[in-house]
Amino acid sequence: MYAALLSNRYLTSRLIPFIAIGAVGLCVALVVTVVSVMSGFLDMLKDSGRRIVGDVIVSTGLGGLPYYEELLADLRALPVVQGATPLIDTIGLLRMPYPHGPTKEVAQVQVWAIDPASLVKVTDFAEDLYWRPASGDAANALHPDDPRRSLDPEIVRDGETLTQSATGRSGIALGMHVSIGNARQADGSYLPRYGWFMPGHDVTLTVVPVSLQGRISEPREQIFPVVNEVQTGVYEVDRNRVFIPLSDGQRLLRLDEAPLYDLSAAPDENGNYPVIGRTPARVTKLLVRGTPGVHANDLRAEVERVYDAFTARIKKDGARTARAPEFVSVLTWEQQLRDLITPVEKEREMMRVLFSLIYIVCAGLILSIFWAIVVEKVRDIGILRSVGASRLGVMWIFLRYGLVIGLAGSAVGIALAWIIVRNINAIHQAIGSDAPSIMWMGAFALAAVSFVGLVRAALRRRILPMLLWLLATFVLGLVGALLFFHKGTLIWDPSVYYFSVIPDQVDWTTAWTTALGGVLFSVIGAAIPAAKAADIDPVEALHYG
Amino acid sequence: MAESASILEARSVRKTYAFGSVGVPVLLGASLAVREGEWLAVLGSSGSGKSTLLHLLGGLDRPDRDGGEIWFAGERLELAGGRRVDAYRNSSIGFVFQFYHLLPELTVLENAVLPGLVGGIGPTARARAKAATATAHEILDSFGLSHRLRHRPAQLSGGERQRVAIARALVNRPRVLLADEPTGNLDSATGSGILDLLADRHRAGLTMVMVTHDHAVAARATRMVHLNAGVVEFGAKSTL
Ligand SMILES: Nc1ncnc2c1ncn2[C@@H]1O[C@H](COP(=O)(O)OP(=O)(O)OP(=O)(O)O)[C@@H](O)[C@H]1O
Ligand SMILES: [Mg+2]
Repeated sequence: MYAALLSNRYLTSRLIPFIAIGAVGLCVALVVTVVSVMSGFLDMLKDSGRRIVGDVIVSTGLGGLPYYEELLADLRALPVVQGATPLIDTIGLLRMPYPHGPTKEVAQVQVWAIDPASLVKVTDFAEDLYWRPASGDAANALHPDDPRRSLDPEIVRDGETLTQSATGRSGIALGMHVSIGNARQADGSYLPRYGWFMPGHDVTLTVVPVSLQGRISEPREQIFPVVNEVQTGVYEVDRNRVFIPLSDGQRLLRLDEAPLYDLSAAPDENGNYPVIGRTPARVTKLLVRGTPGVHANDLRAEVERVYDAFTARIKKDGARTARAPEFVSVLTWEQQLRDLITPVEKEREMMRVLFSLIYIVCAGLILSIFWAIVVEKVRDIGILRSVGASRLGVMWIFLRYGLVIGLAGSAVGIALAWIIVRNINAIHQAIGSDAPSIMWMGAFALAAVSFVGLVRAALRRRILPMLLWLLATFVLGLVGALLFFHKGTLIWDPSVYYFSVIPDQVDWTTAWTTALGGVLFSVIGAAIPAAKAADIDPVEALHYG
Repeated sequence: MAESASILEARSVRKTYAFGSVGVPVLLGASLAVREGEWLAVLGSSGSGKSTLLHLLGGLDRPDRDGGEIWFAGERLELAGGRRVDAYRNSSIGFVFQFYHLLPELTVLENAVLPGLVGGIGPTARARAKAATATAHEILDSFGLSHRLRHRPAQLSGGERQRVAIARALVNRPRVLLADEPTGNLDSATGSGILDLLADRHRAGLTMVMVTHDHAVAARATRMVHLNAGVVEFGAKSTL
């Protein structure tokens, strides 16, 4: 009981332990914040991978996969498959409607020619369509310039079908950041920039077909009306990807069904070779989504099995005019994203290890603070021994003291990390914009107050208060100057960091293990002075203390 | 005076302090029997080893290896384990020092209760603490300190501090009080106040051993011995 009394009293009767609590808290907060953001980043990466590409991706070379409808039917017949969809993935150039005048901007894009009806069963394409008309209260809550207040209700269906319903033309859906027209707001919504609200405008897509032999043909182009825009939340995707209907993609890339000519025969009078059959339409990728609960790896094995049966069947069938490629890659979304995920995972572990080194700093700090306290308290220890306190009891005073500092520091750290992580986007936003004048004015005002304190301390000829006021004046003045000259800088550049928002969930496993580490190292730091205290000879302590 | 059994006894105790590689012998076979209910004064010149002897009697230190025996109520203290000696210091004896030795962070009341907070766990500890608090209140009250319970030692005078220290030594109702020059740091008026207070306790039945080099102080004891050249010499009070 005396241990509790004394460790509490030693704690509350001086300032130093609170500095130690602050130090432990900062260490814990730092580790928890960094690891939480990185874990959140990984989770987002993994989650978005699945949302955007489904569970399993079958990819062929440029020549594409014929008879894919058959393969899709085989796959869809599997009980483990929720949906499967064909896809052509290529690169293209997109001529934008802006700026006004004869020269237009051209964007390099990744083209996904899709079958919307089946794609929505595999990915979140339908949910990712951004422009949806708002009405009633929801509309009133929006910014006055938000286009969603006055959208044509057809826009959602147009996006889902990639068809402009008013004209019946094939449409294109752009990733949210493909055009310059969408300005992201602090709340995550978008307002048109430079007056360019893309839906309704025509854009020209140019792609380059590649023959089965790998030769490039004449580039082909087609004008599409923009029907909607897509926000996956992954900046890389939203900046590059455009969606067009599969049939248009096949035609543009010469992957559609076509007559097969006998080039060995003599051409007719018009120069045409005789038709001996038709080559089937092709796609370059299939995306497969498993039924809920099915693991991607199991699904992958099933898909591979089905594919092998499919190629064998095609090969045996003499009536076929095309062969299925023998080598396709069948990957889970995780394997597909491995190149991206692995370095981030490694980075996170490295951060964990590196930042965990600060524990040693914490332990060292506590050790030196406690050492000083033990030395100062030698006489007290002698007194305690003289009234019957045991060596372990004396040791426990300081261990308990360390434990309290560790617990309090970890609690402060977790609270701090929680506040930072939950508000990280707002904090980032604040750093990204100019400091409000009230802040630098406030800092300068406080600096002025400190200066008054400095003058008073100087008049009273007290050196310590003088030094402290001087430091306060200097630091506050510096903060004020920094705030005054601060012009918004974007730390989290979405083009570098892949996602358009910073993960804001605390990784609680990390939080608790880090807190435990904080407590452990505080106790370790306290253990050495505590052991010294236990070894103090009471007679000497009373004699010299 | 009626001959009564000795409660605390040192038998041919030797104590040597090490100064680097040299041993400095302080006690060379000192023997002393403290009788139940007596007030024994230990006299001797400075450096003669009075404090050392008191520390040995109080279990704060141990004699040299094979350096004699310390007996308390039929038990060999120098052979007892650390925990047993801790418990002995806690409840069988009380120490009073020349320089009060109060804990500066604790209040007067907390300082006086301190021995009652040592030892025991759970409900027994709480019961002990509660009893000790009641005793401390009572003693401090009788010492005229009831209005200073929440003060810190630094706010008290020397005499007041020594009274708090005595209250602390008595709070667990020990059988023997060991006092090392309890008035050595006080002016004579304050010092005699302290001695009055100790005399009250002695009359109430407390056994006391008091180290001093002041004959006037020693004169208030019921018996006195001299420590000289590392051994105890007995002298009747009347011979001084
Ligand atoms: N911890 C120690 N280490 C080494 N020598 C010590 C120690 N404690 C005491 N001594 C020495 O032992 C001798 C006896 O010391 P002690 O304190 O017992 O004397 P004392 O009779 O109480 O003297 P005083 O009247 O001055 O208090 C002294 O010479 C002292 O220097
Ligand atoms: Mg002494």
